[in-house]
Amino acid sequence: MNPHKPVYRIGSGAGFAGDRVDPAVALAASGKVDAVALECLAERTLVPAIKARADNSEAGADPRLRRRLTPLLPAAASTGCKIISNLGAANPRAAGMAIAQLAKGLGVSGLKVAAVEGDDVIAMADKVKWVKPVTGKLIGAHAYLGCVPMAEALEAGADVVVTGRVADSALFAAPVRQFLNSDPNALAGALTVGHLLECGGQLTGGNYDTLGGPHPGNPLSAADFAALGYPLALVYADGSADITVLDGAPAIVDALTCTLQLLYEVHDPSRYATPDLVLDFSGIRFEQIGHNIIRMSGARTSGPPPTLKVAGFIELPGFIVDCEIGFAGTGAWERAKRAADALRMRLSDWADEDIAIDLVGVNAILRAGSLSAPPPAELRVHVSARCQDAEMAQQIEDEVYALTLSGPAGGCSVRSEKRNRIEVLDGFIDPALVKTQLLWSQS
Amino acid sequence: MRVGDIAVGRAGDKGDMLDLTLVAADDASFSLMSQALSVHAVQHMLNKVVPGPVLRYDLPGLKALKFVMPEALGGGVYATLRPGLHWQKAAIWLLLDLDIDPQTLALCLHNSEASS
Repeated sequence: MNPHKPVYRIGSGAGFAGDRVDPAVALAASGKVDAVALECLAERTLVPAIKARADNSEAGADPRLRRRLTPLLPAAASTGCKIISNLGAANPRAAGMAIAQLAKGLGVSGLKVAAVEGDDVIAMADKVKWVKPVTGKLIGAHAYLGCVPMAEALEAGADVVVTGRVADSALFAAPVRQFLNSDPNALAGALTVGHLLECGGQLTGGNYDTLGGPHPGNPLSAADFAALGYPLALVYADGSADITVLDGAPAIVDALTCTLQLLYEVHDPSRYATPDLVLDFSGIRFEQIGHNIIRMSGARTSGPPPTLKVAGFIELPGFIVDCEIGFAGTGAWERAKRAADALRMRLSDWADEDIAIDLVGVNAILRAGSLSAPPPAELRVHVSARCQDAEMAQQIEDEVYALTLSGPAGGCSVRSEKRNRIEVLDGFIDPALVKTQLLWSQS
Repeated sequence: MRVGDIAVGRAGDKGDMLDLTLVAADDASFSLMSQALSVHAVQHMLNKVVPGPVLRYDLPGLKALKFVMPEALGGGVYATLRPGLHWQKAAIWLLLDLDIDPQTLALCLHNSEASS
């Protein structure tokens, strides 16, 4: 086999549940990739899915499934491109059947869809070693699965593989695995490719401030961001890869964007645990071999991890209420500051750690780390508070609203939201306890 | 010299952990950044905004430094009392907006807004 020829081409079609739909369609239709993987499942998105399934055993898949796959299934079928995604969320079985049915309705026949089950370990919650004691109601526990069940589905002829909780990097390594050298460092390379690609546009210039901040000639324009190219990788048998975008797509693929994504949300870069292998990124090299083409090599592994990570979801009683009241026109800043101070007096009996009152447009995000700047022409007083029950949340909302009559002039544009209090708790489970199975559907 | 003029950065989170990555433009910048951004100096600046210890990982081959704060985001993204979720995506500017004095390598955050 020619070592200088890629063995597999994989594209990144989405980096989170709400990500754009069109990048995956563009990649699948291009004929330039053998598969697109779509990362669509965060901890934040798994919680509503778990709740939906608790109410209805047929629910719990990603509610965007139809919108995302309606344009993608025909595009992928036209080029023979495989689709791999965790948009099964809390119900991969239902997602698999829904995808086969959707394909049939779209006239895409003979599509083989495999659903991977087994990540839901709530029934074995007592066998999970949690990092701290479970206090509150455990509503879900999902183990991060590796690439093997997905790879087996693809090797058995699946056109679409849908999962629940799997390691994001495994979505991308799964189709590549059968073409790699047997050296574990080759799989480490494919998993590293997955880690690079799993956030979609964040590898190719999205969420990226160029050196010195935006300045003429360098940053992506608004039109570029609106049409940002999502990454694809040409993977070699040794696990090295060329990272790039479709020809002509607006993007920045260089050593800086790739290094930022390599280290993103990683704790110890020489020991990054995935379900399949513990990865060592310290020897990774990025070499610019063309415009928007980076050659990645040097991935290593110290072997498989002893345990699988589990994400546990705990529902705490009460709510977090998040309200704002706006001020505009001459003196807006002075009026807003006075409104914030009035609220601090009205709510002085709340414990400091359970309430925040600040000014959106001034210091609501970085607090004491905010830069000073001229007062904005319009701004908002923001209040968030932890509330034991709905009545306490209502009290906070009412205090903010009451400023419209009894506070500084012109309090306006009030908005308020309440969210449930969810705690995500990490745990670890013996991989031997986690049994996976494939469920097949066909259009 | 502003850190953001010699390095690019990104913030991420996992559970309670805040992670901040800086990648220098060249070896000289990496060397300057490595010397000035000691764990002690960075923790002093970051603790004005988020609590807890700072761990530093050096990746000279990638010209990168990683600062990890395992206790910075107590309760994770759901527990924040900032407006909306995921405020910590802005946290990298706590490092990018630091000024390094090239003579003493001391750090300061210019124009800091101290009021809350």
